[in-house]
Amino acid sequence: MIKHKALLTLFLSLFAVSGLFAAKPVPPAKKAAPPAPAVITGLTAVDMPYDAGNAAILKWAVNPADAADTFYVVYVSSLEAGGWLEADRFVSSAKTGKDVELPFWAWDGSSLEHAVKVELNNTYGDTLPGSVFQFKVAAEKNKQVIAESMPVSVTPVGNWFRLDRMNNLVLLITIIVIFFWAVSHAKRKGLFIRRIAGLDAIDEAIGRATEMGKPIFYVPGIGSMSSISTIASAFILGEVSKKVAQYDSQIKVPHYDPVVMTVCKEVVKQSYMEAGRPDSYREDINQFVSADQFSYAASVDGMISREKPAACFYMGYFMAESLLLAEVGATSGAIQIAGTDVEHQLPFFFTACDYTLIGEELYAAGAYLSREPMLVSALKVQDFGKLFVMISVFFGMICVVLGAKFGWSAFVSSVLNLFQNF
Amino acid sequence: MALDTSIIAGGWLAAGLTIFLFSFLYKDNPFFKIAEHLYLGAGMGWLFQVSVTSVWIPKIWEPVSKGELLVIIPSVMGLLLLTQFIPKISWLSRYGFTFMMGYGSGLAIPAGLSTDFMSQIEGTIRPFSKLASMTPFSILSSLIVAAGTICVLFYFFFSVEHKGHLKKVSNVGIYFLMIYFGAAFGNTVMARFSLLYGRFDDLFTFSGASYFYATQAILAAMVIYFVIHWLVSGRKPASEEEAA
Repeated sequence: MIKHKALLTLFLSLFAVSGLFAAKPVPPAKKAAPPAPAVITGLTAVDMPYDAGNAAILKWAVNPADAADTFYVVYVSSLEAGGWLEADRFVSSAKTGKDVELPFWAWDGSSLEHAVKVELNNTYGDTLPGSVFQFKVAAEKNKQVIAESMPVSVTPVGNWFRLDRMNNLVLLITIIVIFFWAVSHAKRKGLFIRRIAGLDAIDEAIGRATEMGKPIFYVPGIGSMSSISTIASAFILGEVSKKVAQYDSQIKVPHYDPVVMTVCKEVVKQSYMEAGRPDSYREDINQFVSADQFSYAASVDGMISREKPAACFYMGYFMAESLLLAEVGATSGAIQIAGTDVEHQLPFFFTACDYTLIGEELYAAGAYLSREPMLVSALKVQDFGKLFVMISVFFGMICVVLGAKFGWSAFVSSVLNLFQNF
Repeated sequence: MALDTSIIAGGWLAAGLTIFLFSFLYKDNPFFKIAEHLYLGAGMGWLFQVSVTSVWIPKIWEPVSKGELLVIIPSVMGLLLLTQFIPKISWLSRYGFTFMMGYGSGLAIPAGLSTDFMSQIEGTIRPFSKLASMTPFSILSSLIVAAGTICVLFYFFFSVEHKGHLKKVSNVGIYFLMIYFGAAFGNTVMARFSLLYGRFDDLFTFSGASYFYATQAILAAMVIYFVIHWLVSGRKPASEEEAA
């Protein structure tokens, strides 16, 4: 009850605070001065920085006298004379240096000049007709040209380095450094991982299968080897098959993808060797079923219903076959443990399985079971990533709210730039 | 109007296979096994022709025929994977796998950093940049999204034990997850029902006189089989039936 009251109080407080920051009526704007004739001064064209060499950027001074119905039209030509094609058209108040989508550390735009990015692929298609391009800008009012610039030329070139993605690089380097620190720390002192409920049931499931003398089905899903959940599943399979070998139980792994089957064969073989039972390993533990989703589901359903396994593991990437498999397993009376990062299939596993690993728990499972320093370190790096996101969201939100409240638009833009995907 | 014989035969096949697969709802039976094995075989056959007509011919055979020999390199890398089946040279498959893993990681890591980290943070805090034009409800909505993001992420934080106040944050994260899962469940179930209606609609169509009552005939035949099977096997002990 106290908990509910606290939640209600929190909700009402949030609502009250949001009311303080909400929009207020805006006073009427002052009357503008009468417009003066349009002029285009200081037109320059430069290669668009940090791109693949298919864009240019045009700059010219903003004319404060431009009327609201004045349009600028940008023309491009690949010929020395003539051949002009319209590349862009916009109202005179739009597209200033501040509107170019580049972060503050890679672009210093001013609202006193127009800056227009011209993507040549949009005009000429994937193959550009030349290397040097001419540009000119015209000002139009009521479809009449009122001013036109002299042509300028530029040679677009591709860039090797994307300075605009520096934020990604810094984060990547930080993650790499933390990973190596975590590996070193894990080897020396070990790293803590909290208990994951579903994984404690693995021993119980394998023990049950051993007592009943029935097989265990391990279904690695329909993902390819490039899927992260399939890679995590292969790690868990290694630990499960090691325990199966120790208990001298039976395991069957029906496959959808031949490449995954090849990897899993090696994983299971290695586990049997590590358990000191290479003689118990059989080539038919891993068997290819079908690379067609529902044929695979129908066939695995048939196997489960006929062989009545004691335990079923569904770990990896699953789509619509998730409920088809888990429901048949539940009907056959098997203890079922599932794990996937496909969030829209998780509800089906919740309903039909005894334990379900949600998303990241699947990735953590391999490290939790094996306590391998490399995997534990990878888990620590993931935790660092989550911590980074949580802290960034919390403080980023405070900074943006304060910036927006006090009108620090440059500060807000800089904060957003730090996390923007360019 | 009388239908073509091939269309009627197709109707019987479709109705039969649909009912055979649905019969699994009762129990495992020979009809389901027929449909299961047919499905498996047809699926493999279909995938084989897709591989030949969509991959082998346009991506390897035709370019090589035109003298574009560079495609041989990835083709050989792909073929190396098959050396897994020949133990003596199975080590060659590692080259193919290594290339796939390297290529996959190179593709996934930068994209993952952008989408899972940067875009996630930016998407959560960006709405607050338009604070001046936001209504109290939109501010509250953005706050709930931010709080939900933090709490759900904390649920997946494995480096600390979830105890005391931290457990409360984690529990709020579970509530957010369960709300999402409930919505996803309802959405997917509705989509599955539309598939079920599609099958029922077909069965209804095939139950007409123009299809010579295919649905009813197949259903009746199956019911007769199950009744006879029940009468015959019903006299046997359960253990004997299971052993058989």
